[in-house]
Amino acid sequence: MAKVVLPLEVARAFADGETDHAVEARDVRALVRALEERFPGIAERLSRGTAVAVDGEIYQDWFLEEVRPDSEVRFLPAIEGG
Amino acid sequence: MSEIQFATPQTVKEAVKCLAGAKGKARVLAGGTDLLVQLRAGFVRPGLIVDIKHIPELRKVKREDGGFRIGAAVSGAELGANAAVKKAWPGVVEGLELIGSTQIQGRASLGGNLCNGSPAADSVPALIAAAATCHIAGPKGTREAKVEDIVSGPGKTTLKPGEFVVSFFLPKRPKRSGDAYLRLIPRTEMDIAVVGAGVSLALDSKGVCTEARVALGAVAPKAVLVKAAGKALVGTKVDDAALEAMAAACRDACKPIDDKRGTVAYRTKVAGVLAQRAARIALARATGE
Amino acid sequence: MGNEEDIGKIIDYSGREFQYIGKRTIRPDGVDKVTGRANFGADFTVNGMIHGRVVRSPHAHAKIKKINVDKALKLDGVKAVITGKDFPEIDINDKAVGEVVVSYYDMAHNIIARDKVYYDGHAVAAVAATTPDIAEKAAKLIEVEYDVLKPVMTAAQAMKKNAPVLHKHIHTAGVEPAPEKPSNVASRTEFKLGDPAAGFADADVIVEREFSTQTVHQGYIEPHACCASISADGNTNIWCSSQGQFMVRAYTAKICGMETSKVKVIPAEIGGGFGGKTVVYLEPLAVMLAKKAGRPVKMVMTRDEVLRATGPTSGGTARARIGAKKDGTIVAGELELVYEAGAYPGSPVALGCMTGFAPYDIKNVSCVGWDVLVNRPKAAAYRAPGAPVAAFGVECTLDVLAEELGMCPLELRMKNAAVEGTQAPYGVKFNRIGYKETLEAAKAHPHWSAPLGPNQGRGIASGFWFNIGGTSSAEVMVNEDGTVIVATGNPDIGGSRASMALMAAEVLGIDVARIKPLVADTESVPFSMLTGGSRVTFATGKAVIEAAQDAVNDLKRRAAKIWDVDVDQVEWENGQAVCIESTQHKPLSIAAIAAKADKTGGAISGRANINATGAGPGFGTHICDVEVDPETGYVTVLRYTAIQDVGKAIHPSYVEGQLQGGAVQGIGWALNEEYVYSEDGRLLNTGFLDYRMPVASDLPMIDTVVVEVPNPGHPYGVRGVGETPIVPPLAAVANAVSHAIGKRVTDLPLSPPRLLAVIDGK
Repeated sequence: MAKVVLPLEVARAFADGETDHAVEARDVRALVRALEERFPGIAERLSRGTAVAVDGEIYQDWFLEEVRPDSEVRFLPAIEGG
Repeated sequence: MSEIQFATPQTVKEAVKCLAGAKGKARVLAGGTDLLVQLRAGFVRPGLIVDIKHIPELRKVKREDGGFRIGAAVSGAELGANAAVKKAWPGVVEGLELIGSTQIQGRASLGGNLCNGSPAADSVPALIAAAATCHIAGPKGTREAKVEDIVSGPGKTTLKPGEFVVSFFLPKRPKRSGDAYLRLIPRTEMDIAVVGAGVSLALDSKGVCTEARVALGAVAPKAVLVKAAGKALVGTKVDDAALEAMAAACRDACKPIDDKRGTVAYRTKVAGVLAQRAARIALARATGE
Repeated sequence: MGNEEDIGKIIDYSGREFQYIGKRTIRPDGVDKVTGRANFGADFTVNGMIHGRVVRSPHAHAKIKKINVDKALKLDGVKAVITGKDFPEIDINDKAVGEVVVSYYDMAHNIIARDKVYYDGHAVAAVAATTPDIAEKAAKLIEVEYDVLKPVMTAAQAMKKNAPVLHKHIHTAGVEPAPEKPSNVASRTEFKLGDPAAGFADADVIVEREFSTQTVHQGYIEPHACCASISADGNTNIWCSSQGQFMVRAYTAKICGMETSKVKVIPAEIGGGFGGKTVVYLEPLAVMLAKKAGRPVKMVMTRDEVLRATGPTSGGTARARIGAKKDGTIVAGELELVYEAGAYPGSPVALGCMTGFAPYDIKNVSCVGWDVLVNRPKAAAYRAPGAPVAAFGVECTLDVLAEELGMCPLELRMKNAAVEGTQAPYGVKFNRIGYKETLEAAKAHPHWSAPLGPNQGRGIASGFWFNIGGTSSAEVMVNEDGTVIVATGNPDIGGSRASMALMAAEVLGIDVARIKPLVADTESVPFSMLTGGSRVTFATGKAVIEAAQDAVNDLKRRAAKIWDVDVDQVEWENGQAVCIESTQHKPLSIAAIAAKADKTGGAISGRANINATGAGPGFGTHICDVEVDPETGYVTVLRYTAIQDVGKAIHPSYVEGQLQGGAVQGIGWALNEEYVYSEDGRLLNTGFLDYRMPVASDLPMIDTVVVEVPNPGHPYGVRGVGETPIVPPLAAVANAVSHAIGKRVTDLPLSPPRLLAVIDGK
């Protein structure tokens, strides 16, 4: 099962403050769908202004990135720049 | 900008005529380093600009009665290249040379710097300390005036309508005397003085100060000749105690404002610091170091 | 090299010799820029063009009761007047889909006010007339009636109970349960690692300090400018400089209620952006005026408009608390940031939280950030947004910790340095990074051990920026004579054109002088994310490399046809097609192959449309020496050395330039730059005289040390470079000044009056 870490604000708003979750999914899209089933409304929240890091690699426009059974998937704020 | 008339008189008489005949506000143009900025910003809308740089005497530096007559439109670069003036009145020259930057120096003039009326004008304190005078021409003829009497407040002069400054006179430099000008700006150039201090002093053969004039810029609505500061030096050997008394007199004379460049407390304190430092330089120049 | 399967492959280049990468070639934009031929945003003239001028609020906070444009419309030469009412309504929840959350509602209202104004300079109307003078006169004839409200000018004021609230629809986000009352606190953000409370309990030494900074502007020398022309069928052309022509297209179309496909944006040369040109201000106004007037409209901001009404970056406070063991091991870190967002939400406070402690391996970290509304212009990105102020807090507090521990500040950082595998404060583990190497370079540098005199002090500080990848597109086109055009969709704000040419040259194996890099308009190259986030040399570079590899494959296929062999018999070496069985077939140059392009199938080109991942973080360490005049508070920067891990310097001169430029902006931020407002919220320093950026004579040569720890995510090891250099200087200068005067300074800028007050103990 992949380990998913939610941002603190999202965890507090949707998951009773629990940031760490175990989810089985083959890619990030499926993973987010799985989270949506547990925490309705979370998908929309994770779809805006949120990047994802899968095993340390950051994806600003997440969608179909592969998630392995032992992956760590971490959601974080999107990063802009100047 | 589009309705401005532009005149280039060739003599002082012609210039006086132009200014007298102007409908609406006329402005005199020397280097233009203040006027053009104000025009572009829309602060002034003169009907007529009178360019005085075509009048020969406005551009000349001449010896006169042991001193110097400097045309009001002589640029900082030109005056800085004049070895004789620089040797006699280094404080006046260094004040003018601090204005702006290298590019500005190609145009900026003593006349413009004075008549723009900024309390922070860099060439003014040293001119006052040097007891310089202005030769003014106008519709009623010519007259002389002390530099310290020209500016009446920020952006305002005591010049009557149609008058303009033709030249400056720096008196003969007494033996064993020296002058200096220092200013504080937050950067190294391209800035307006937060405090400016001009000091001119003369010593007798024993090293005792016989005359001293101290003028401060940017600490009052106009540059101030601080008589008490000069008095504090006269009769002394310009030692630390005398300098401290002078600094105290300077601090007392300050009537600065809090603005985006400095606070009252800051200007007051630094006025004393700069006056002391300028006095030390003037002293060194007077004793020939 | 250059085979089909190599496209996009990460190549390990350690120990590899480059032919073109790393060379200091002549910059492609140099001649035009120094001879005044380069066309910037204000340099376009179009037939029938008229001139636009904006009317701006003189109040920091007010309701608009009425706008009367009749007198302006009657003025001879006036062709159109617009107000907020001319723009379509945008839903309050309408946000840009994509990376950063961009509220179109906020953006549209910021560009031109609707029923309220929120800062001195907020646009309320615009007029277009046949000459700039007439437009200026007409602007003065537009009468606006305001109901003036009390402004809040600082976060402290804005957060007070009963403070006037800017936006009734904003309730603090990130707080559970969601508050009922509207607030000027737009959001709260938190990051946590481990157990900070336990960490602090375990510490032998704890230090804590609070710091403050002021609003500063990016200070680009080219004011915003554009020319917009719209035809009767709605097709719109916009000429403007920006950090992203596709961004200009998207935002302008959205705000004006047009289809994206109707808008074409042609990029002009840009005179500095630094993040401040990643949004639009004039373009939608120019388009609406052009639409109403039936004439093309040119608009150019004055400097005071730029300062009053375009996004500066947030001022704010940083409170840092650090706990360590006696031996210098840091066991806990806490950071609280309060940033002023300006008139609409969106300060970079979250990024500050994520970056502050990033150079250090700390198991227990808590970072909390507050985004606060004030009646100042809406903040826009500024080079490493959010990071400099956070680093200011952390790096100065580390200095205090070093003093408490009796430890060298460099050794303290070395002991706790993040390395490969360290978990960043935002939770992600670092891949290969070069922070330690910058510390080692600092230690070995003669600057670090040079002697200091009286009233002099030395400061050291480090910094971090993520650097990003993103969507980039590139076309590599081979001309009939074998020269090559490399077209991308990213404006060049730091030398990327030269780097694109060098990377293409390296792949193609031809002289970089035969490659012309250009920045294409929105209809000539596929979509590219804007220039920012230190991404272009990395991400667009990757696209160029892949496009060049694609072109090489095309060239090989043509050579195979010319030789009548299988394509797997063809290799590409040193800019030539080489036949593996080479006795019969002599190598073919690009020129030779290009000459036969028509015969072998048509024009030769390569392309790549990617969303680049694998960006590598950049770490920097700066050393600063200052001398302070104890009687006037005047600071002289005596010596400055900027050391940074850049991965691989494609064009070293440009890389050094980025290090120097960022350092200078940071020094200005530390010493003299700040927005000065009157009590009623009017900006007092609206020009470069009193908004004090350093002038050239203020600073010594900024020495640079380019460290190269290659980023495994890029074929040549590139890391983004442009943003990291502005992160360390605030603390490097403040630490130096603190050592020079023997007292800790915590409030920027360190202008002479402020510093003298600290020295004198006031």
